[in-house]
Amino acid sequence: MNAASAAWRVLSLVLCLGGLADAWAHKASDAYLRLSVDGHVVTLRADIAMRDLDRDLVLDADDDGVLRWGEVRGRAADLEALVRRDLRLTVTDAAGVPCPVGPFAPLQLEQHSDGRYAVLARNWSCPGTPAEAVLAYDLFAATDPTHRGILARPQGATVTTAIVAPGTSAMRLAMAVAAQGAGATEVAAGTTSTTAATGFFRDGVHHIWIGIDHVLFLVVLLLPSVLCREAGRWRPAAAWRPALWSVLGVVTAFTVAHSVTLGLAVFDILNPPSRWVESLIALSVLLAALNNLRPVLVETRWRLTFAFGLVHGFGFASALKDLGLQQADLALPLVPFNLGVEAGQLAIVAVLVPLMWAARGWRGYPRWVLGAGSALVAAIAIVWLVERLFDVQLLGLGG
Amino acid sequence: MKAVRVGISLPLARPVVVALAVARATAAAVAGLIASGVAAEPFTPRHDDEVVERLPLRAGSAGERARQRAEQRVLQQQPRDLGLALRAAREAIERARRFGDPRDLGTAQAWLQPWWADPDAPPAARLLKATVLQARHDFEPALAELDRLLVERDLPAALRAQAELTRAAVLQVRGRWAEARAGCERLAAPPLALPHGHACLAELDSLQGRDALARQRLDALDRAPAAPHAWLALLRAELAEREGSAAAGALYEKALHLEDDLYVRAAYADWLLDAGRPGDAAAIVRAGQAKDLTALLTGLPDALLLRLAIAWRRTDDPAAPRARVEMQARFDAAALRGDMSHARERARFALDVVGDAAQALREAELNWAVQREPADAVLLVRAARAAKRPEADAPVRRFIQEHTMRDRRLERLG
Repeated sequence: MNAASAAWRVLSLVLCLGGLADAWAHKASDAYLRLSVDGHVVTLRADIAMRDLDRDLVLDADDDGVLRWGEVRGRAADLEALVRRDLRLTVTDAAGVPCPVGPFAPLQLEQHSDGRYAVLARNWSCPGTPAEAVLAYDLFAATDPTHRGILARPQGATVTTAIVAPGTSAMRLAMAVAAQGAGATEVAAGTTSTTAATGFFRDGVHHIWIGIDHVLFLVVLLLPSVLCREAGRWRPAAAWRPALWSVLGVVTAFTVAHSVTLGLAVFDILNPPSRWVESLIALSVLLAALNNLRPVLVETRWRLTFAFGLVHGFGFASALKDLGLQQADLALPLVPFNLGVEAGQLAIVAVLVPLMWAARGWRGYPRWVLGAGSALVAAIAIVWLVERLFDVQLLGLGG
Repeated sequence: MKAVRVGISLPLARPVVVALAVARATAAAVAGLIASGVAAEPFTPRHDDEVVERLPLRAGSAGERARQRAEQRVLQQQPRDLGLALRAAREAIERARRFGDPRDLGTAQAWLQPWWADPDAPPAARLLKATVLQARHDFEPALAELDRLLVERDLPAALRAQAELTRAAVLQVRGRWAEARAGCERLAAPPLALPHGHACLAELDSLQGRDALARQRLDALDRAPAAPHAWLALLRAELAEREGSAAAGALYEKALHLEDDLYVRAAYADWLLDAGRPGDAAAIVRAGQAKDLTALLTGLPDALLLRLAIAWRRTDDPAAPRARVEMQARFDAAALRGDMSHARERARFALDVVGDAAQALREAELNWAVQREPADAVLLVRAARAAKRPEADAPVRRFIQEHTMRDRRLERLG
């Protein structure tokens, strides 16, 4: 090993066979941008880490490793110059007239997860309704290419976020459309938008369509809505209004109930074990089917729907969570995902109800469609229930 | 049929309560989003003397700081000076490793920027690029760059050695042990004939349970006066930990004493946590840090904060919830910038701090797709158990069989 002792010195860089896979870091550098519209006024606020500002502008004049408010405040003009140079926003109104920009608001500070940030805000006052903004972002492009701007745009109750890399081409932001909340039409060259609302909408539709247990639950509850129960016998409904009300009652109860628990589960307020949720969903299908065979609730089926709809919501939540999102990211997809579920559900209703309406007069409907159909669903539900309760595979019916 | 009646007898007041809870939850989520960085209420300090931020003092002396600042000014002019860039980037990588701040990796990349996207850049610049990528856990791009370097026939020996060693390390993390071994053998054999190759072979041997042989090799290497004793002590400590030997504690202590290194400190804390000594783990994490709770929590690098949150939870420390909130805020801030690379840490946090086994399992599965060290295997097995889905550890079981991975922690889990 003597020859080797000198050889150890050959490698100048860190020896890190062990320390590679562990992340030991704070997060990298971010600036938080907020672009908001209030009437004819557009505001862009930028929160920039003081550590980053000190690195580029040397704020710590006395070199004591501590930034005092006086040291920072005295350099406000330099901070503003940096923002003017590297965070360029142009705003135009509906007539294409450029909106003049005002002075910076007085310098303030803000605490974020990795330290204090300087807050620099400016207003653009438009003659007409603001229509379009173009953002060119070059902050720290020369000194930290891994820096990112996290752009938040509040629009009504929601906030869309986009990530902007320094030095990429300018980002076009449609303001008027955004103000109406009509969705994402922004052209973001070189950036990634974190709101893929349409994607989550499609996921919602997809989930209800492939979620055969949700579909069967709904179908079984809808089957009797084109019939009336009189003296222990089913008869075809004569008037369409009561039938439609019955359908609406079931669909609304299901929608409200599962939206409630979907929200609760996504925000982790209630998080029942998935095995129980899945088992209860199977039980809900079974009970709904049995209720058709030996009716207990007829006019008030919506109550059954509501109670078990709550359970189905937990099922949707686990589907949403399985899309691999972080807790913090779940709030935004919640709405499009749920809308997707509702749209998928309405599509099923729209196809099914007219068919049922047409078939209700057939003498065999109560016996073959309602009776045999419900019995078949009940049998499937029993298999699911056993499979899910005892975690075994009986027939592999899916769902 | 009874069940139906029970099912529907839910009082109607309940939905209202639930709906209120949803409204509250939505408000809380929005507040959480705001806290994690979108926007909150800014403030104006009252006095000019008020301390508004503590800067990380990374350079030793005032002179050194002055030099760094001068270089920083040069960097803003986007120079194309390879010698300066290589030295400054290497220093920045070194700082990132010591202090755990990825901003330093950003600085390293900034220096290398003129050569970053150039496939024909000088080999030394491409080697540093691969090192930055590796440090950011961009393992596949790092491997691709190193592979391209190593096929070059006239690559200087020093660069070849560093590239081989880095590549072997990445391959080992990715669970590609056969390729890692081939690289280590090339390092150990002439013409390179470097002791690093033997150390790296010893580590691979130990991963496969050939501990006696591995220990012999490491002990022999450690006898050379110029050997990197701290690194070898770490390798020996990890070997002892995999063996289930109590000697690991003393070896970690020694490694830490020889070189105060973030990774070693975190690994030592893990060993203490695993040995059922959360109080000692917390002490190791806190050593040399600020005494004040807020300064401590905001100043700790993620790796140490995670260990502290786990240790405090196990000792029921009154400050445990604060460590948890701080850690969660950092994960949220990273997620906001789209950084999802630290699944190992998120899995441990979910499992050992939050107690959300299902989430821990999801993260541990994501992590296993990227990293396959014993710690990652242990994590997936533990998460699968906690989530009551023992079958979910099948990929680990398969890996253990195919690679004959040996680790007492895995055996203890059964």
